[in-house]
Amino acid sequence: MDHDNAFGELIQEYIAESLPLAEAVTDAFLALERRWRDGDTDAADAAGLKGTLHTLKGNSAMMGLAPIQLVAHVLEDLTARILADTAARTEAAAALLVEGSGLLADLVQAAANPAALGGAAEEYAGRVRVHLGTAGDPVGQPLRLERRNIERRADAGADASGTIRVDFRRLDTMLEIFGEAMIERSALLEVYRGLTARYGSGPEIADLERAVSALGATMKRLETALMQTRLLPIATVFGRFGRAVRDLARDERKRVRLVTEGDDTRLDKTILDRLGEPLVHLLSNAIVHGVEPEAERVRVGKPPEATVLLRAATLADQVQITVADDGRGLDTDRIVAKARALGLDAPSADREAIHALIFVPGFSTAEQVSTVAGRGVGLDAAAAAIHALGGGIEVASEPGRGTSFTLTLPLTLAIVRSLIVEVDEERYAVPLSHVAETVRLEPGTLHEINSRGVAMWRGSAIHVADGGQLLGTGATRTAPRNYYVVLFAGPRRRGLLVDRLVGHQDVVVKGLDPTLGRPDVVSGATILGDGRVACILDAAGIVALREVA
Amino acid sequence: MARHSKAPVVAAAPSVFEFADQVAAQEAAAVAPAPVGTLHLITFRLDGEEFGLPVETVREVIRVGDITRVPQAPRHIRGVTNLRGRILPVVEIRTRLGLAPLVPRSTARIIVTDVRGRVLGLLVDSVAQVQKVPADRLVAAPDEVKSAHTTYLTGVVHMDARLIILLDLALALDASASPT
Repeated sequence: MDHDNAFGELIQEYIAESLPLAEAVTDAFLALERRWRDGDTDAADAAGLKGTLHTLKGNSAMMGLAPIQLVAHVLEDLTARILADTAARTEAAAALLVEGSGLLADLVQAAANPAALGGAAEEYAGRVRVHLGTAGDPVGQPLRLERRNIERRADAGADASGTIRVDFRRLDTMLEIFGEAMIERSALLEVYRGLTARYGSGPEIADLERAVSALGATMKRLETALMQTRLLPIATVFGRFGRAVRDLARDERKRVRLVTEGDDTRLDKTILDRLGEPLVHLLSNAIVHGVEPEAERVRVGKPPEATVLLRAATLADQVQITVADDGRGLDTDRIVAKARALGLDAPSADREAIHALIFVPGFSTAEQVSTVAGRGVGLDAAAAAIHALGGGIEVASEPGRGTSFTLTLPLTLAIVRSLIVEVDEERYAVPLSHVAETVRLEPGTLHEINSRGVAMWRGSAIHVADGGQLLGTGATRTAPRNYYVVLFAGPRRRGLLVDRLVGHQDVVVKGLDPTLGRPDVVSGATILGDGRVACILDAAGIVALREVA
Repeated sequence: MARHSKAPVVAAAPSVFEFADQVAAQEAAAVAPAPVGTLHLITFRLDGEEFGLPVETVREVIRVGDITRVPQAPRHIRGVTNLRGRILPVVEIRTRLGLAPLVPRSTARIIVTDVRGRVLGLLVDSVAQVQKVPADRLVAAPDEVKSAHTTYLTGVVHMDARLIILLDLALALDASASPT
């Protein structure tokens, strides 16, 4: 059992080590393919790639990952061929190299599940051998290493540059312990307040106050330092897109160059893990709908090759990500026509309001269904994913000049400033990033339409749901609630009636065990100052609910 | 804070849990037919009947503190509780067995089980003891017991006048599988 665990950790370590290498190889071959197509058949920098491929081959052999070893092996052969022979630098060879390095990255990523790896590797290797005219050659057998050696490697996480690789779960453990310390500090604070109330002031009480407040300041610094260790460069996400953009552009018969900026911008891993999908969709959208066909670009005097920009930058405690293209821009006339056809209320003058329509579920301006657009993940899904992270998404567009999506995201989701509310004696944390306002319920301000609560809020009618019903507290009550909290995610709003506002608190977010199901209304849990567990409301989920009384 | 001997599960990916589920299912299936040596069981009571779990699957037994209800959780989940800073799901094993939910008294306990790093609490009426049982006392359940309890036991142990029912932990693990 421990052997299996050690092996599992090793696989994770292998992936962490090898994936960046495989992605670097892919990027380099993509650049090479581009240059060759432009007529520059220099291949000098491929020499360095041979070394990287060799490392990948060795690492994979050590883990007994024969299919990955095989792909790295034939890629090495193919690289050797193009280095040695200028005549071999053909478009077909370049395409094979790009394909193989992409396959390599995919296989490395799936290394934890080696049973599924074999077929594609064999098939690819076969084609490379045919290309090289070496079909029938034996390929190196995977090295068999003794478990003992592998386990020794597992401890060797340190490298010469002074950085160490740490299992992310250890950082979670540290955060867990930090959370306990925060709880203990609030307990101490309670004691201090009690003492002050009982004995008034005095030199010892003053000392205690200094100590308690110094502890608070130190904890804040510890929190910041802890958060810093959890941040990873966004390059780990951006790095995946090079090949995807190339492949999609080729399918669309367009020429597209992907430029990334701010690759070293850092974000919490939990956010990075959920950023890939919305970004893929925005990039696909740019290539499929934004970028014009080459002939059209030439006709309007644009460079035949389109540019798609992916940029990240840190702004205070937020990260801004831009996905921009130099394509044709959003067609406002068509958006309005489509909106009317869908029966939506379409403004005719306000360009920004028209642009915002593209985030409405089910909206798409594509004239024909392409492979990507047909997958059913719309811009609305990308927007929902960003909203669920507590972020925002905006679009700006100029006809003929291009379209730019701007995403703003919090740095971390691990510690979240929250409003603590009470509903039927249950306490919940509501992330402040989703709270527009808290309103004291005055008599006569809550109306009932179709047996749903409705209130006027900032000039518009919003649905106000009962917290007890929504959360299923099961309590039967007669007294009215005292407050409602206006939750928002993107453009959606919904009020939630609660009994009491307890206060603000930084809460350490903990995930829910899958045993607890997948509630729509709760996204996690945290431990409050009194040691009790409180669920964290999923504001994005709550505002998106369709049937709520 | 007590030392955790296993890796924490707090923010691990769902796939890990799926894996744990598979492993747990395999393990549970493998428990009954291998009676070698001595079994160490933690025994506990549910509605008058005595149940047992292999000691290796139990991390600790704790008193019942505040249990927070989780909205929309499956029916057999009582809620979550704070286990030294970690959020422990508490399974209402009684309703899983068709009994009424527990009205906790001072004897009630939460048995913290750990199956390959996946940690869950089982709410029980009371905990009796650790019982050493010669493995050959473990037998397949008699038919009349089986018909009523067939889905949650892996075998029974006869000790003098006692009958200890070996609980199938997979039952607790897939408490979310049948929300009806």
